[in-house]
Amino acid sequence: MLTDLFLTLCISTALTAVQAENRCSVDAKNGYKVRLSIKTALGNKAYPWDDSEMFLFRATLAFAMRVYTKSDQYNVSSVHVCDETPRVSFWFVVSNDTELVSAEDVEKAVRISRNRINSAFMLTDQTLEFVNIPPTLVAPVQPGTPPWLIVFGVVISAVCAGVVMLLLSSFVQKRRKKGILEDENEEERCEKQNGATHEVQEGSDDFNQIFVEASSSTKL
Amino acid sequence: MEADGRPSWDNPAQFILACVSYAVGLGNMWRFPYLCQMHGGGGFLIPYLIMLVLEGIPLFYMELAVGQKMRLGSIGAWSAISPYLGGLGIASVVTSLYLCIYYNVVIAWAFWYLFHSFQAELPWAACPANNNLTEQQECEVSSPTQYFWYRETLNITSSMEEGGGLHRGQTVCLLMAWVVVYLCIVKGVKSTGKVVYFTTAFPYVVLLIYFIRGVSLHGAANGIKYMFMPKMKELASPTTWINAATQIFFSLGLGFGSLVAFASYNQPHNDVQRQAVAVSLINSGTSIFASVVTFSIYGFKATFNYESCLDRARINLLNSFDIEEDAITNDNISSWVTQLNSTYPDRFASLSQQLESCNLESELDTAAEGAGLAFIVYSEAIKNMPVSQLWSVLYFSMLLMLGVGSMLGNVMAITTPLHDSKFLSRRLSSEALNGLVCIFCLLAGLGFTARSGNYWFTIFNDYACTFSLLFIVFVEMVGICCIYGLKRFEKDIEDMIGHRPNWYWKIVWAGVGPIILIGLFLFYMITYITGETSTYQAWDKDLGKSLPKERPPYAQVCIALLPLSSILCIPFCAFYEYVQRKKKREPEERVVSCPLTPREAC
Repeated sequence: MLTDLFLTLCISTALTAVQAENRCSVDAKNGYKVRLSIKTALGNKAYPWDDSEMFLFRATLAFAMRVYTKSDQYNVSSVHVCDETPRVSFWFVVSNDTELVSAEDVEKAVRISRNRINSAFMLTDQTLEFVNIPPTLVAPVQPGTPPWLIVFGVVISAVCAGVVMLLLSSFVQKRRKKGILEDENEEERCEKQNGATHEVQEGSDDFNQIFVEASSSTKL
Repeated sequence: MEADGRPSWDNPAQFILACVSYAVGLGNMWRFPYLCQMHGGGGFLIPYLIMLVLEGIPLFYMELAVGQKMRLGSIGAWSAISPYLGGLGIASVVTSLYLCIYYNVVIAWAFWYLFHSFQAELPWAACPANNNLTEQQECEVSSPTQYFWYRETLNITSSMEEGGGLHRGQTVCLLMAWVVVYLCIVKGVKSTGKVVYFTTAFPYVVLLIYFIRGVSLHGAANGIKYMFMPKMKELASPTTWINAATQIFFSLGLGFGSLVAFASYNQPHNDVQRQAVAVSLINSGTSIFASVVTFSIYGFKATFNYESCLDRARINLLNSFDIEEDAITNDNISSWVTQLNSTYPDRFASLSQQLESCNLESELDTAAEGAGLAFIVYSEAIKNMPVSQLWSVLYFSMLLMLGVGSMLGNVMAITTPLHDSKFLSRRLSSEALNGLVCIFCLLAGLGFTARSGNYWFTIFNDYACTFSLLFIVFVEMVGICCIYGLKRFEKDIEDMIGHRPNWYWKIVWAGVGPIILIGLFLFYMITYITGETSTYQAWDKDLGKSLPKERPPYAQVCIALLPLSSILCIPFCAFYEYVQRKKKREPEERVVSCPLTPREAC
């Protein structure tokens, strides 16, 4: 009787295992197709795809399921693979003891741990494709100030400084010109004295400068 | 400073550089290569050079000679030629005003792209992620460069009627553009004369660097071969010749009054004839050089796209038939296609819709001009180059310098006549006057930074200046030859440079030139009347491409008003002058007064 029980147990586990494996097929309802492009990604350093690599894949997928469900019910044996092609593509399904895990849960698990799965194989989102699972784009880094504003600020401050300097210099020049003209006007004002006096400047010839200046400005 | 107190260039080199900087502008970069491509590649050079000789150089010389002789801006100079032609100067100033208002927007765009080049990854290199961390719909349907241009730079609305608000980034860039222009013209000729050294030299340096980079790019040879392969049958079509004449005319910047303004600051005996020929030839030479660079970039982009297309097809085949990865390469793809078609015909048939046919010729045939070429096509090519940030900074700085160089001439065309007017120059200093012009143009140009601004920009770009300039230059030639007298003009030139112009100049001024201009003017009138102005290209964000839409009636009115407002100045002023003369019966009496100076009063 014990052997009968043992036999039925063996047969039932074998059957469920076969069932799970049978549920992995092309276009399986809860399965996904995976496609690897190792030669595109790594070129000369490409590693050949063999059973050990497949084992690693199943292990990382089990890891992803564990992270997602926060339980340790998943093992390498939970992941079933079929329809391997020379392209290096295959289908997989994940089973949870007896039944298959739904497609949505598998997708979420893969998306969360996508980075870890990729790095296990030194591949990227584009070279390790899970068909129908969109890649998770990196969240855009939003810097506090957009960088273009910084460059803009620097350039416009420099340009405004240039404008202000030019305006100031022409203003100062005009002031100076006005100052010289005023000085000349003061010197031309005649003083009611005997003859016109004028301070003799240093280095000048010994004659009264005022007559020289008067002659050049007399309007005729 | 001259004896009459007019400021002048420090040396003749500054004048030549200013003219070169003004004439060599964005049109050389983005219009000429397009025309070359559309009209038979190398063969287009034939009508182009013929028109240069028949129309370009003589008209250029004529405007410079008028400016140098009269030593006044366009209003004063043409009034001196004949009092009835004062309106000609005013028409030039109005046209220059329209140009200043819309042209600086291009510089604002160049600034925007330049500032955005200082990032680790160019923002137009890839589609930005949206909130779901998936790609933006609009970006996926079009392309990252188009998305960046239409959505992030312009934030364009889907039609002209929807105004949208002002785009803040564009507004500050436009402000920046005007501050830079003000910095260059604030002291008139003295500041402009120094700036033109840089605005002229820098674009050539960048073009040379790009030339070296461009011809060494993978696939550049395809583009250059395509350009230089002449398709002679294009020469039989009249459109080719019309486009050549138009391109020469607008490329040299005739009719705006800028050349008159520049030449008015010359020394009286400057050899303007030799300089005119030199500048015209430099301008055309630059166009040809720029188109070689552009075509090498085109070739690179087309080859890149073609190879990407082949790659996509290859991956498609690999994935559908699960063949080993390196079995299909870009070279043997066609043999694989035939093999797979014969082995799995039905599977292949279902796949064939997805398999795009890749054709290098059709990639090279996609021609673009204008802002589309400069900002979309070029930035797409640049993002695929190694060290793309450097090339991007160089390229947009070059566009900036080309634009600023042309703007200097355009703004001086407005400020020079204003300075000449005693009324204004007595009340305002020249810095204040220049500042007012800049502020006015800035405020008027804010409309182009609105979300629908690009549609209005296209209207201004296509219609604000084209008719008016043809008419203005035609009246200039008639004015010189008939009203002023060709003999008198010859004598003026002899006074300036020491010898009379020879028969070639006279034939063009008196005969060939006006005929060509009338022909162009009639052609554009006919194009306008036959209704080609009634639709415009509006960006559809769901489909990711531009579709034609009807222009609203107020836009059509605007298109009509723009050239009319400047052309009508000419007859109005002539009529006004005629009426004034009829009123004045007695000549003015000259009153001689000798006010007593304080010194004499003592």
